[in-house]
Amino acid sequence: MKSISLYQANGSWLTRLHPFTKLFYLVAAVSVPLIQGSLAMFLVTIFLSLLLLHSAHLVRKAVPLLAFSFTIILTIVLIQSLFNHANVHVLFSIGFLHFYREGLLYAAHIGGNILNMLLAFAILVLTTAPEELVEELEKKGFSPKFGYIINSVFQIIPEMIGTMHTISDAQRSRGMETEGNLRTRIKAFLPLISPVVMSALTNTRERAIALEVRGFGARARKTYLYEHPYQKNDQIIKWLSLAALAGSVLFRIVCLIQR
Amino acid sequence: MGKLFKTNFNTAVIVLIPACIGINYLGKLFASVLKLPLWLDSIGTCIGAVLGGPIIGAICGAINNLIYGFTTGDNVTLCYALTSLFIGLAVGVMARLGFMETFPKSLLTACAGGLAAVVVSTPLNVLFWGGTTGNVWGDALFAWTQANQMTVSIGSFLDEIVVDVPDKLITLIVVYFIIKGLPKKLTALYDVNAVVTSLD
Repeated sequence: MKSISLYQANGSWLTRLHPFTKLFYLVAAVSVPLIQGSLAMFLVTIFLSLLLLHSAHLVRKAVPLLAFSFTIILTIVLIQSLFNHANVHVLFSIGFLHFYREGLLYAAHIGGNILNMLLAFAILVLTTAPEELVEELEKKGFSPKFGYIINSVFQIIPEMIGTMHTISDAQRSRGMETEGNLRTRIKAFLPLISPVVMSALTNTRERAIALEVRGFGARARKTYLYEHPYQKNDQIIKWLSLAALAGSVLFRIVCLIQR
Repeated sequence: MGKLFKTNFNTAVIVLIPACIGINYLGKLFASVLKLPLWLDSIGTCIGAVLGGPIIGAICGAINNLIYGFTTGDNVTLCYALTSLFIGLAVGVMARLGFMETFPKSLLTACAGGLAAVVVSTPLNVLFWGGTTGNVWGDALFAWTQANQMTVSIGSFLDEIVVDVPDKLITLIVVYFIIKGLPKKLTALYDVNAVVTSLD
């Protein structure tokens, strides 16, 4: 069964970091350029995230995560640079299309923000096992019931995809068409999805009973199988992130006072 | 009001949430396999909302986007957790008010869910994407409104309406037929007003 999580267990130094450390970095990398507010800062954090990914040999794995955003960024650049209301100065023209400087700058800000967020997030997602993050959160007082919900989604989805393949094959062998014009495809949707959904929902009943029998609802204090103490690297990254965050807030305040 | 949001957090309901998120995932997968021009990624959220109430619907929606973020690495969906949350809430409230009992009434629920989605996602679209939604038809309309000097928020609002409302209509129609087909022994598990009686 194929896992749906993107975690890459390649044993790099990033995977050995505490999950919270990566959360600190994520928050700092996303908010510092937004607070500081300049285009150059986006470039700095994007470069930093790329550097970290490179150090863990994960750049190639991160590309597919970014790929989908390129078409959207392209749409934004086109629409904003052609039609933005603040457009005054023509930067260049291709035929009858005039590209304006203001719209292009605005689009660059949005594009930088999207790329920056995606890269910072890629670091967390590619190097952290979801179970580990959930377990650490539970240790800090996160409800174990919610922890169960998140962990079990990662088990249920591959299982449901398996059921889905079985049902698609069964329906096709009965002569149902899944390709063709829009009407055929819409007509195929209900017979495909309803058996999967029905079986998923009826399975919940048995799952609930099985969990109850194993003491899921018990109020006793739970113990944990794994320990993951903070290392030296964790401390360094955590405090650097916090310092960067504080620095950007300070910079913004100074800017406001000077104005 | 208290009754509208009444929720019980027993094991059956807790187990329902991952199943609903799985259903969302499948809906999205089927929509892309069949190349349908809709998202259909909130079928599970709506089922959760109808069976478990508005709070469960909201939790399904929020956790759903959280996990999408983790499985596709696309953290912009994280921000849309707010949209999914409100879809679940709106559909759950409508279901508790009895708007899932007959087919015509369920269409009204669909409109409520669709409007909730539009109202919440329009500001997010403007903030993150400068107004576009990523759906071809909606974005064509957005480009047209911008070329005609309408404001970004109106353009983005129209962009969302043409995408979200039909999407939620199809979703709720599917949900209506699924709920009608569920066995009573299953739906009884989620009944908040159920009373356990003992014989002695």
